[in-house]
Amino acid sequence: MGGLTRILLADDSRSDVELAIEALTEHHLANQVVTVSDGAEALDYLYSRGRFEGRSDGLPALVLLDIHMPKVDGLEVLRRIRADALLATLPVVMLTSSRQERDIVESYRHRVNGFMVKPIDFPAFIEAVKALGLSWGVVNEPTAGAKRAA
Amino acid sequence: MKSQAELLEVANHELEAFSYSVSHDLRAPLRHIAGFVDLLLRHNEAQLDETGQRRLKLINESARRMAQLIDDLLVFSRMGRAELQRSRVDLNAMVKTVLADLEQETRGRQIRWVINRLPQVEGDPSMLRLALTNLMGNAVKYTSTREEAVIEIGAVEEAPDGIEVFVRDNGVGFDMTYVEKLFGVFQRLHRQEEFSGTGIGLANVRRIIHRHGGRTWAEGALDQGATFHISLPRHEEGKEDRPWAA
Repeated sequence: MGGLTRILLADDSRSDVELAIEALTEHHLANQVVTVSDGAEALDYLYSRGRFEGRSDGLPALVLLDIHMPKVDGLEVLRRIRADALLATLPVVMLTSSRQERDIVESYRHRVNGFMVKPIDFPAFIEAVKALGLSWGVVNEPTAGAKRAA
Repeated sequence: MKSQAELLEVANHELEAFSYSVSHDLRAPLRHIAGFVDLLLRHNEAQLDETGQRRLKLINESARRMAQLIDDLLVFSRMGRAELQRSRVDLNAMVKTVLADLEQETRGRQIRWVINRLPQVEGDPSMLRLALTNLMGNAVKYTSTREEAVIEIGAVEEAPDGIEVFVRDNGVGFDMTYVEKLFGVFQRLHRQEEFSGTGIGLANVRRIIHRHGGRTWAEGALDQGATFHISLPRHEEGKEDRPWAA
């Protein structure tokens, strides 16, 4: 058994979070998904502050950021991650509802690692999540009890 | 007082914001509907009776259809706003490309293509390609009930209002009473079960050709095929001032 791979998922839509976790579960991706509902919380998690004060389990293997979130949006979180030497190399993938050119351009300007348009088609979403897991090495062996987030 | 150009700028900006929110805000709830219905079908199908299963599938299909309508509307609005990137376009080469694009639709079908020599025109290549794809795609679609489809593409170079290109098919045709409806947004003359599609194709063709300063028209008869025409202003040599077209 390898170390736990953890994904930080920031999305303000509970439905999107539930669908994403279902898709991740389908492929035994990540034994642990930490979900936060806005960009401010995502930064709190990465900096172990606020409600994540005292957390000592290190950085996640992958950060998934919804672009449109209250308070601090996904692009701003990405910009701050890239501006911090300790976080700069974190793999970050942006999630969005629509293929809007300006969002894509802006994300790549801040050296995003990937960009995913959440498809209407759920099986397509599952496939996209699988590809995501494969490219960022967060696929886990399906061990007993590890199917759901711990 | 604001100038005409400034007002136009504001209107364009609003339109862009509108389509952004349409594509973003409408898609999210739709994705949730489709996603959860799919999860129900995956994990709870056995608990539902046949009627229940069928209804879930209908919800799923409707959500997909609405997604397609939103996408189509966005393309249509983009066709109205995007600046024309004009260059010389060889329609013969473009027809070949579109034929390759339609491979999936034409597979297993018996279609006799009669492709005449077409002129060079000036226009936005990607928009003209979309127009041609729609016209040729329609010809393929509405001949699907024919044992052998015959689709002819040709041009009238000396037409009164410039260069005229037509696509003619021996398909199901249409009643001339409704000819103007054909070019409307989401207007269809057939039921979804007969021929698939949202009804945006010809509206896109008309918008694209109008933006090039041309015209679109059609003629047909029920069960006797249809011909769609587009005209484009003739490219005038004397007006040549674009280095890339030299």
